[in-house]
Amino acid sequence: MYEVLMFDGGVYRIDELYELVEDIGGFVIQKTQLQVAITVTIAIPSEDRPIIENKTKELGGKLVEVPLAGTEIAVVAPTLGRHHMPHPVCDIAEHMRRYGAITVVMGLARGKGRATAQITADEKAFIEEYDAAIFVLGNFADCIMKEKVRLFEHIEIPVIVVCGPDISSLPNCEALVCGIGRKAERMRRADEIVKLEETATSVEAAIFKRRKLIDEDPLCVHPAEVKQRVDELESVKQSLRPSPIVLHLDGLRVKVPYDQCKEMLGDIDIFGRKLRDLTVISPSRLGGSTMVRILTMAQLRTRDKAQPKP
Amino acid sequence: MNINVKGTEEYGNQSYAELFKRILVDLGLANRIEEARMVILPEKPLFLISVRTRKARTTVRLDDIASVEEKGSNTYLNITNESYAPVLLANLWKRFGRERIEQLSRLEILCHGIGSDLLKSIELDPGQELKKELLDALWRLMPEGFKVHHTLASDTVMTIAATEHLMTDELISLAKQLQVDMESSTLSESESGSEDEEDEEEDG
Repeated sequence: MYEVLMFDGGVYRIDELYELVEDIGGFVIQKTQLQVAITVTIAIPSEDRPIIENKTKELGGKLVEVPLAGTEIAVVAPTLGRHHMPHPVCDIAEHMRRYGAITVVMGLARGKGRATAQITADEKAFIEEYDAAIFVLGNFADCIMKEKVRLFEHIEIPVIVVCGPDISSLPNCEALVCGIGRKAERMRRADEIVKLEETATSVEAAIFKRRKLIDEDPLCVHPAEVKQRVDELESVKQSLRPSPIVLHLDGLRVKVPYDQCKEMLGDIDIFGRKLRDLTVISPSRLGGSTMVRILTMAQLRTRDKAQPKP
Repeated sequence: MNINVKGTEEYGNQSYAELFKRILVDLGLANRIEEARMVILPEKPLFLISVRTRKARTTVRLDDIASVEEKGSNTYLNITNESYAPVLLANLWKRFGRERIEQLSRLEILCHGIGSDLLKSIELDPGQELKKELLDALWRLMPEGFKVHHTLASDTVMTIAATEHLMTDELISLAKQLQVDMESSTLSESESGSEDEEDEEEDG
């Protein structure tokens, strides 16, 4: 199983780290250089962690745990109105970023109210493109338990619910964090930071569970490996959008339009095979993006058997 | 400022009291509000709030808050009391139109073709402004989905009942009762001459 870590140090002899990561079968996910300081997010096999720790010590850097690196998480509010934004929705999203996740904040079109609160099939499909979703709800248990639960039922990704009142359990969600309700100011007090940490821990546990599940039937190629190849595409290099490639647990989002890049993506060569043979490439509901879902080993075998050999 | 919240859920009551305090501080209204009472019944659903404001500042004349200098056919205003600047500018725009009122800098206004006598006669009513600001605070506080409102207002007390579907007679009578209670507590205070509220906290 791969472990994602962040190296925080200097540029001196950094190539040695890159080579070592490659030698042990790991990947460099992201490099951020600021003059002579550099942070490098890497994915390495868990059993080889001591080797990287020794190298980090040798280079005078430090290793930081980023358990949510390589994931994209949606933070969902009932609406984008000022009743929900920016606090606590943006505080939660910002805290997830500290753990390495890429976060997206979204508001439902008609999520406000009690009996009138609703979510469309389109919105659910949109949320399902992410690795996990955090639903941020309000202050009244009666409202959440009787009405708002409908918002996150039948969503095929882990859902973490954040709300104000102390509720023992809720259906349709992986985890429940109580004690964060509507807020009109930034969450910066000690007890609020504890709640943010609790949210991060719940998300981390849900992601870990999903990673374990994926490991039972592993992907035929690691998303970071696909990212390295996709990075070389001219249209990706020219993309001005922040993080033009976002890693997911089971694939990646490439922020170039599907119509323009589906052939180029499909033609990418990975270990002697075309990317279109190893993945499902589809348009993303997020405008101008393309989803690349990597097949598992079992799915790949089934597909290979079904297709006649030339 | 005294904020009382009655309702069926303790967490909701406490958090809405905190939320309202925070909103009032953000809008700079904390010292303008004397008392607020809320009734929150999510199962009905009903959100009822009544707010009693302190007496607004008395009406001011334009030459009390700005120096007025006539230059030919135009008049030049230099605002001396900054807190009235937005109200004054909005008032002048409304009366004379934007093309005749030129804002030279933050506190300097040039009025084209308007005599100083006419300008000096303008009076500003901060009470109206306070009501607008209070409404803004209440809009920020009220649950977003509760779109059906019933509003009652007197000089110093404003009550709003909000619900999701149908504003029933029962909900309206609750709002009226709260409005009367708030107004009568003003009277009893003014009769007794006391300025301090000693109402008990009524958390539900």
